[in-house]
Amino acid sequence: MALLELDGLTKRYGGIVAVDHVTMRIEAGEVRAVIGPNGAGKTSLFHLITGVVKVTEGSVRFADQDVSTLPAHVRCQRGMSRTFQLTSLFPEMSARDNTRLAAQARDAKRWMPLGGASVFNGASQRGDLALERLGLTHVANRPAGLLSHGDQRLLEVAMALAQRPRLLLLDEPTQGLSVEETAQAVEVLAGLFSSGDLTVLLVEHDMEVVFRLSHKITVLHRGSVIADGDPDTVKADEGVQNAYLGGFA
Amino acid sequence: MDLLPFLVTQCLNALSQAALLFFLGCGLTLIFGIMRIVNFAHGAFFMLGAYVGYSTVHWTGNFWAALIVAPIFVGGFGAAFELGILRRLYGRDGHAFLMVTFGLTLIMGEVIRLVWGVEALQVKPPESLSDIVFILDEPFPVYRLFLAGAGIVVALAIWQFLERTRLGLLIRATSQNAEMVHALGTDVRLVRSAVFGIGCGLAGIGGVMAAPLVTASLGMAPNAVIDTFVIVIIGGMGSFLGSLIGAVLVAFVQVFGTYYFPDFALAFMYLIMLTVLVVRPGGLLGKEA
Amino acid sequence: MRMLLAAATLLALLPLGLPPYAMTLLTESLILGLFAMSLDLMVGYARLISFGHAAAYGFGAYACGNFLLHTSMPLPCAVLLAGLLGGIVAIGVGWVCTQATGVSFSMLTLAYAQLLYAVAFKWTPVTGASDGLAGIPRNPGPFGLTWSGKAGFYYLTLTCLLGTFIFCRELVRSPFGAVLRGIRENEAKTTALGYNTRRYKIAIVAISYGLAGLAGALYAPFAGFANTELLFWLLSGQVLIMVIVGGAGTLIGPILGAMFFLYVQQKLSSYTDSWALFFGVIFILFVLFLPEGIWGLVRSRFMRKTA
Repeated sequence: MALLELDGLTKRYGGIVAVDHVTMRIEAGEVRAVIGPNGAGKTSLFHLITGVVKVTEGSVRFADQDVSTLPAHVRCQRGMSRTFQLTSLFPEMSARDNTRLAAQARDAKRWMPLGGASVFNGASQRGDLALERLGLTHVANRPAGLLSHGDQRLLEVAMALAQRPRLLLLDEPTQGLSVEETAQAVEVLAGLFSSGDLTVLLVEHDMEVVFRLSHKITVLHRGSVIADGDPDTVKADEGVQNAYLGGFA
Repeated sequence: MDLLPFLVTQCLNALSQAALLFFLGCGLTLIFGIMRIVNFAHGAFFMLGAYVGYSTVHWTGNFWAALIVAPIFVGGFGAAFELGILRRLYGRDGHAFLMVTFGLTLIMGEVIRLVWGVEALQVKPPESLSDIVFILDEPFPVYRLFLAGAGIVVALAIWQFLERTRLGLLIRATSQNAEMVHALGTDVRLVRSAVFGIGCGLAGIGGVMAAPLVTASLGMAPNAVIDTFVIVIIGGMGSFLGSLIGAVLVAFVQVFGTYYFPDFALAFMYLIMLTVLVVRPGGLLGKEA
Repeated sequence: MRMLLAAATLLALLPLGLPPYAMTLLTESLILGLFAMSLDLMVGYARLISFGHAAAYGFGAYACGNFLLHTSMPLPCAVLLAGLLGGIVAIGVGWVCTQATGVSFSMLTLAYAQLLYAVAFKWTPVTGASDGLAGIPRNPGPFGLTWSGKAGFYYLTLTCLLGTFIFCRELVRSPFGAVLRGIRENEAKTTALGYNTRRYKIAIVAISYGLAGLAGALYAPFAGFANTELLFWLLSGQVLIMVIVGGAGTLIGPILGAMFFLYVQQKLSSYTDSWALFFGVIFILFVLFLPEGIWGLVRSRFMRKTA
């Protein structure tokens, strides 16, 4: 049983087809990269999976349950955590408070209006652990808005991780990072993924990052899947090379 | 009474009401289109127009003079406020602008109270428009016909202004891409001040024209701003055509609604606003709100 | 906290040294302080700007007035019940208003207030229409307590204020408060983390309106009357001024803002009729140049010293 199953997933905006009958299966423990030229529909696909945008056709099955009509916050509660293409954090809160709030979301008593010390303690523990795994402990008390761009991207991943998700969706985690920052981030992420207990769906433009981190690759072009398989197969695929005129080689 | 005359007179009623609402809505949407912010003081400018109109008529005995004096005065004041105060807020978050214009509303409310007192003031329409005509044997005030006509004339005038004049072109361009307009050599700040002034001036005209019908009073401001907001929400923030449609829609609902359920006028507005916000938050023709 | 204890003790001892008219002023400023603090929950902590908070205040006043006039319910019970009723009704109001966000939300709060204002003029049996409710008694009880004296009523008000302050402070420090902060800084992200942000917003609106209703419920027996002035939009504006000038998001700031407002209003109104104008100007100046308010400024200076 696959952790995530997409079946004929389609999104139409008026006359435009952003996502065209995408069918995918992602097994637990897999790291899957989704690549494609600009406008291929990668972020739209993420929005459909996480529930930010409504499905036009097709279905999303998560852990053997149809979640296609569930709102975003409910899908998150079921175990999907994501990061965004444009960094989205709580800028005035410390990094620590950011991850604590993320972890708190999974506590049944997250809404407690008074007291709540036990809620905070539990959430802090999970949050601090996530910060550690992403190598951010040294900036834990700094306001998130004052972190370097690279650290901010990693903090977003830490927040998603603090939720102990079953499925982690990362939307261009290295976007906007310098060459050194990218190399550092990739090492951190590689270490993270090597433990094998995470299932990851990764959108990326940087091919080196993709080949370093992922087990399998899915290629999107104009909203539909044109190739799907392990890195070497995909590299050699003619259709992919055509879509990526002047791309990787 | 018979159905046809009733419908006709009520429709004409609604059209005259729509004209008033259009003056308000058009001004607000113009300001939003350029500045991307909602002018909460719009209702206060409307109110100011009514009171200035009252005074002009009081001193000169001439309603037509009021129609010229009020919008110039109100528009000028608006432009001055934008120049002096609102300019400092660009770049800050939308709440600051909302609160400052709210503060302005409070100040204007107080100034009006101090200058003109708390009693509602009666403004008499000019002699030439005080008559009653008979439409299909039903009496109908000429003043309302005048209003409806004025609304159509102003709508056409603004449309032509936006489409055919240089300033109109600048306004449309600035609402789409202010930076580009600036790069092309126009002082965008002047465009903004001009637009804010025009928008307030339109509210001022609305106030003068409304005065003979509703009397000038301190309660005008919040209700006017709610009405205006509903119109612009329905028609879509920043859409001139939308404000026209919104004004007509709201006027018809208000006129026919208050005929059948006289005590529920305000409740209707509330319900309309709610419905539109729920069903189509961007308005029928709107850009991003 | 030591500061709180000191302030509470000071406020508790004041009646011993003050003349009657000052007592009345002080009591009224505490009531307004409670009103302003309730708005701060929405404005300062959730960034939900309410332009119609007078609706909650007036509602509480009318509800309590009716309880006291038509039943022999003891005063404190009437006050608390009116506040509770206000909070429950506000759940519906919050549900409606949170259908929208930003400016539209604020407009909906204003519309609701205007609606209530209009209803108050028509619903004669409950509100006394334009005359309002007069001669509201300060029903005695429980346990034989009477409230007709200035000191007694002052201590009741002080207790409500302190109790509410402690409640609000704990609320903003709780997990609920942390989510509220998330909503304030980045609502989209908060939703993406899995929180049903709408529910939290409805909850804070209900709590805020309920506490404002509590303040209004105290005002009715304090003044002995309730009328449509308590629902008028200018009052909504004045309480917003108190919050901003005092310092949004600090709880203490709005209380100070209310005291400042009332004191200045008293002083100015002996010279001129246009004191409200003064506040409108101050408001704009603060929004432009000192958005964190007086207490916000004090707090950031103070915290810099201890850091």
